[in-house]
This record gives sequence, C-alpha cells and structure tokens, in this order.
Amino acid sequence: MSKVTTASIDLSSIIKGQENLKFAGQEIKIHTRDLKVFYGDKEALHGITMDIPKHRVTAFIGPSGCGKSTLLRCFNRMNDLVDNCSISGEIILDNRNIYAKDIEVAELRRRVGMVFQKPNPFPKTVYENVAYGLRIQGVKKKRVIDESVEWALKSAALWDEVKDRLHDSALGLSGGQQQRLVIARTIAVRPDVLLLDEPASALDPISTLKIEELIHQLKKDFTIIIVTHNMQQAARVSDYTAFMYMGDLIEFGVTDTLFTNPDKKQTEDYITGRFG
Amino acid sequence: MTTDANKVSKTAGYSTHISKQFNDELEQIRTELLAMGGIVERQVHQSVDALLAGDLKMAEQALAIDTQTNAMELLIDERCTSIIARRQPAASDLRLIISISKAVVDLERMGDEAVRICKQTIELNINGGSHGFQEVRHIANLVRNMVKDVLTAFARGDIEQAYKVAKGDRAVDQEYRSAMRTLVSLMMEDPRTISSCLNVIWVLRSLERIGDHSRNMAEHIIYLVSGKNVRHQSIKDMKSTVEQSI
Repeated sequence: MSKVTTASIDLSSIIKGQENLKFAGQEIKIHTRDLKVFYGDKEALHGITMDIPKHRVTAFIGPSGCGKSTLLRCFNRMNDLVDNCSISGEIILDNRNIYAKDIEVAELRRRVGMVFQKPNPFPKTVYENVAYGLRIQGVKKKRVIDESVEWALKSAALWDEVKDRLHDSALGLSGGQQQRLVIARTIAVRPDVLLLDEPASALDPISTLKIEELIHQLKKDFTIIIVTHNMQQAARVSDYTAFMYMGDLIEFGVTDTLFTNPDKKQTEDYITGRFG
Repeated sequence: MTTDANKVSKTAGYSTHISKQFNDELEQIRTELLAMGGIVERQVHQSVDALLAGDLKMAEQALAIDTQTNAMELLIDERCTSIIARRQPAASDLRLIISISKAVVDLERMGDEAVRICKQTIELNINGGSHGFQEVRHIANLVRNMVKDVLTAFARGDIEQAYKVAKGDRAVDQEYRSAMRTLVSLMMEDPRTISSCLNVIWVLRSLERIGDHSRNMAEHIIYLVSGKNVRHQSIKDMKSTVEQSI
C-alpha cells in the first residue's frame, strides 16, 4: 500500500496573508512622488504618490478621463511628445529620477517598453518586427538576433504559431497574434518594465485570455503596469490595483482586498457598478 | 471609529447600481433569504410548541414545513450561482452573495434540527414522560430569540446585533451543559426515565445546534457588513472587530 503523504501547508503564511500586508517584503521598482501633469493650464493628475513593486502586475482602473493612461505614459515619458504638457514631481526608477536632465529618453524607453490598445506591427515580416529594436540598438550578429527573436517569440507565447512563417508579413497575423507579436517586439530589447495600455480591449475573448496568461508568465522577468477598463481583467491578472478618479489616486492596494473589501466608498461604487 | 466621509458606507443599500436589473436581482435574493428565515423561524417555534404541548398534529405540521425550507435552499442557491456567473459581483455585492449562499445552508440545517425535534416529540408521545421540559422551555426561549434577532440583524445589516447573537450562543451552550447534568442525574436516580430522557437530550442537542447555526449566521452578517472574517475568533476578538467596523 502506498504511503499517504501529507501536503505541507505553511500556516504562518496563511495567517500572514490575512493581514493584508500591503507591500511587505516587496522590492519597489518605481517610486512616484507628488506627480502632477498639466495639459496647458489644466491639471490632469493632482499629485500622485505611489510605489510600483518589482516583478509584480499593477493594474490601474478608473472611469474614462480619470488620468490612468496619462499616469502610465509618464513612466516612459511618452507625455514629452504631447504639446503643452508639463510635469512636476518625481518618478524614481531604480534610484534615478527619469525626469532628470541627464536622462537619455531613448534608453529610458528601451528599459520601459509600452504596448498599446490596438496592435501596431510594422509592415514588415514577423522576424523583422521582433528584430527591429535590436537592429536599432546596433546589434548586427545574425546569430544573436536569431536567438533573441526566438526567445522573444517564445516568451510571448507566439513561437509555435509563427515559427514556420517568420518571413511572412506580420499584417497577415490575427489581431491576437499581432498583439502578442508587439509584446514580443517590446520584450526583445529586454526592458525592465512593461507598460500595457488596454492591451486586450480590441481582442476576442480567447486572444484576451492568451494575453492574460502571457502577462502572468512575463511577470517573473518584468515589472508590469496595465491600464484596463475591464475590471474583471484587473482582478484576474494583477497583484496590486490602483483606482483613480478625476486625476486622483483614490485607493491602491492588494487586488484581492480591493475587489472584496475596498476601503473607500468611491472604489466600492466604481467596482460594483454604482457610478462610472 | 472613522469619520472619513469617503469610507465605505456600512449600510449602503443594494438599489443604487447603474443596472436596475442587478438592483432587482440583489433585492430579490435578500428578500428570499428573509422569507426562508421566516419559514425556518416558524418551523422552530412550532416544533418546540408541539413538544411542550404534546401536540402531535402541530409536530406533523412543523415536519411538513421542511419541504418548503429545502425548496427555498435550492432556489436561493440557484440564484446565487446565476448572479455570480452573469454579474461577476465585487466588494459588498460579492460579500452579499457569499454570505447568503452560506446563510441558506445554516437556515436549512436549522430546519433539519426542527425536524429532529418533531420526531422526538412523536417518540416521546409513545414513551411518555415530561422530564427536562423546564430546561427545554428555557433553552428554546433563548434559541428562538437568537433566530429572530439574527434575521433582524441581517435585514438591517446591524453588526452590533449580530455580535449580540454570537455572544448569546455562549449562554445557550452553558444552559445546555447544565441541562445535560440534570438529566444524567435524573437517569441515574430513576432508570425508568432513561428512554424519555434520551428523547429530551436529543431535543436539547438540536436546540443547541440551532444556536450554533444562528451564531454562524451572525458571523456571515459581520463579514457581509464589515468585510472581516470573524469565524474561529474568540468573542473578545469579535467584539473588537465589530467596534472597529462601526
């Protein structure tokens, strides 16, 4: 008769888990301090202070116009490209303020990659899309590029579907495949942080699930920040959730707690569908 | 105590969603749970009254009510499943559904205990004797009040009252132990009473279990309103959780 083994359960971690220790033991990747964003005279973000934990998924939720995409775009200085946009406060990425004068923005954007709502592959082959960032960086060795393309496509859970058509046009892929290709292109240059701006909102439910599964796989290597309108998606994929409303960070905490027992009435009203 | 106006309202109704249909579904399920509570309350009352009065007809009636209790459990369970599947409720809405789906189990089991009391009433009628009826009357009064109070606490979302119910279960447990000692002494003194005393012991046991289920329901209410899980907590810890949440 086979011996029955008892699964060892660490009770102390269960007891600890009940205490909702917000960032206990978490290494912080990005510190945001009193961040204000102005479009002309209009203040779009009213002094956001928050810490983004490393190798975790942080979701931003909130109604349209609450400032979540604006905040996301601050993390790789995409707002620099917007006319009459000005910023005050600090974003500290690995102990350096990314708005300091000596920061090289192109290098920052390599370290902080971004994926948008609509898949935007280049009108090139699948292979060239992923290799693009590496070539821009000056990588010339074919073997290195081949290895990186394969790694990125495998990491983006796309390799099996495209390995026989690497030199076909990327525009021939389905929407879900294109979005995973864009993620592969983003991670090919080995960034530290991935910013995802509603990455699945233009996709069908199966492709959405694939992207969500991918996010789960990628968080062991990358710090991920995702903006989503789909609250169930935030609840499914994120470790931490921030609820924003009219340019303010209303509540930021462990996703499980925020979706079962939020602290603030505005959060409760939003996630239960009482306003929005 | 908090004065922060942006804290989650502990008495927020279920009629303020953008979706009126969702409001209606939540109100309906709440109303149905209270209706089931009313049925079980009546069942418990009748089963005890039938025992004390030796009224077999009333015992049969209380037994028959169990069909309704079981049907209500299935109906409410189905509604909970449907709301979870279609609405993916969050926060207080999710806690409402979870609390209700647990509360129906406790209510149904209270109904089962009432059925047991009815069956003992029928047996006692055959065995004869009314030893321990005073204890039954006393504990039944405590337990009936617990059932009534816990249903009121649910209807009002009143966690202070829910805490009082949970606390009241200790008194029931003490009275139960004391009644057991009395009946055991009686059986030792006069073995001819053993048969009827055993029937009464089963009745007392059922009443004590109804008290336990009322306490469980009180804990579900505290979870529903405060978001804090107070199961397996001492009464002292439960009190401090409730005070923090008011």
